[in-house]
Amino acid sequence: MFKIFIVEDDHQLAMLLQEYLQRFGYSTHAVQDFDQVKREFEAAAPHLVLLDVNLPKYDGYYWCRQIRNVSTCPILFISAREGKMDQVMALENGGDDYITKPFDYDIVIAKIMSHLRRAYGTYAVAGGERGVNFDGLRLDKDRLYLSLNDEKVELSLTEVKMLEELMQRGEQIVSRDRLLEKIWDDQTFVDDNTLNVYVTRVRKKLSALGIDDALLTVRGQGYRLVSRWEEKQ
Amino acid sequence: MKLFLKDQRPLFTVYILQLLTVSGVYWLDGYRNMAMVLYAALLSGCLLAVYLVFRYLTNRSFYRCLEQGEGLDAFKEVSPQTPLSESLHQFLKKQYRHYVSELNRQQHKINHHLQFITQWVHQMKTPVAVIHLMVQDSDDSRSTAIGDEVDRLRKGLDLVLYTARLDSFSHDFVVEKLDMECLVRAAVSAQKRLFIRSKVFPQLDFAQEPIIIATDEKWLTFVLTQILTNAVRYTAKEPGTITIRGFRREEEAVLEIRDEGVGIPDSDLPRVFDAYFTGENGRNFRESTGMGLHLVKQICDQLGHRVELESVVHQGTLVRFVFHTEHSHLTKE
Repeated sequence: MFKIFIVEDDHQLAMLLQEYLQRFGYSTHAVQDFDQVKREFEAAAPHLVLLDVNLPKYDGYYWCRQIRNVSTCPILFISAREGKMDQVMALENGGDDYITKPFDYDIVIAKIMSHLRRAYGTYAVAGGERGVNFDGLRLDKDRLYLSLNDEKVELSLTEVKMLEELMQRGEQIVSRDRLLEKIWDDQTFVDDNTLNVYVTRVRKKLSALGIDDALLTVRGQGYRLVSRWEEKQ
Repeated sequence: MKLFLKDQRPLFTVYILQLLTVSGVYWLDGYRNMAMVLYAALLSGCLLAVYLVFRYLTNRSFYRCLEQGEGLDAFKEVSPQTPLSESLHQFLKKQYRHYVSELNRQQHKINHHLQFITQWVHQMKTPVAVIHLMVQDSDDSRSTAIGDEVDRLRKGLDLVLYTARLDSFSHDFVVEKLDMECLVRAAVSAQKRLFIRSKVFPQLDFAQEPIIIATDEKWLTFVLTQILTNAVRYTAKEPGTITIRGFRREEEAVLEIRDEGVGIPDSDLPRVFDAYFTGENGRNFRESTGMGLHLVKQICDQLGHRVELESVVHQGTLVRFVFHTEHSHLTKE
């Protein structure tokens, strides 16, 4: 289990980050006393640090240097400043990466995973997010396939992203806009038709597993995945 | 020289009057030797000439400064050699020092203000980040609506930040050789929420070979974001399309962003890049500070890129950027 050390003086932000990271299976510690960051760091012995630049008393660069005296764990800076010089300064003070505010959860998770992987090895990443499980239907995000019991079907990356969102929501309606956002691709972008195309494709893949009528269209709102396959047992 | 002669006109007049007066007195007294009178006039004329030449030479730098001097510190050119020009020189020096210190004071105030603004914007990004995270995971209509407003807030903050930074542009920009298509794609993808929510979708049409341009990534991305946001905002129909073309044209690289929106009336076209100009569209559509395009033009001027805008009402608007590029076999560093 990986421990993430959060140094952020905005209480809400720190709490949100903690909640989200814990959902991903990381344990977290948020600094309480901004005079004693180094001491709290040593006591917590974390695997990775999320460090805000704007802190009371001393700034993030200072604490980074302090932490570097006792550890080589990955340190990710968080800051509202996005100037090139600010980023260079962060790196020069011992940081490994830089996240600008406001940020998406995806970015934070992706960067944390990437740095943990680099520092501690590929398979040591916190479990829970290589796959999604919804009532027996399993989605493997790394190897790109969907399986039910012993049946497997291969998926494209876009289909994986779509199913991930639908499965994570359980039986709740996922809006068109949200799905479009998830399947947005930097190369092909999306257009009004894209969603229809992929919904059809995903339905076909589900059929290949013997699942029909599980992906329902909710007029004017979006789509939902309803668990019908257990009944077929 | 002209000023000097003009200045000496009264002297000439008095001199001639004096000559006539003295000669007249002697004439009336019975003196009739014309040749002698003329000879005396000649001698005293030479004296006048010598005096004038001397005066001109000693005051030459002073007169030159008066006639041709430009700029606050032009008076420094003067090398005073007569009491009058010396006094004037001192006077000008005092005035200069006074104005320079006033200018410095104003500059200091501006810097202070800019620093405050920059600091404040960065502070504001934290609560914006908090709200952004809070609604990011939810999918209900309320959260997505809040998400939209947060996006607008963010753009507003960036607008202020970049406006503030424009003044000290030279400290803040880094020119690199970049692949135009990559940069455009990144800017477009960053706005994916905007496109999806407005149901206006981007289409890219780029040449096969990479087009390399020399620019500052951050500033150009900001510019592109402004244009894309405008294009979406003024496209009324759903679903709409925004077409982005990138191609090479002789020694230049061209980027065109076209929307099929409401267009800009001819009467407004010449002024779109003016500061605070909102025009017809600004009045009819919500929110326009009038600064977006102005900033775009300013930034492009600083970066050495050309920006052009064409528009037909009810048909759409085309914004064109023209960059210098080197030949195609140049690879990205």
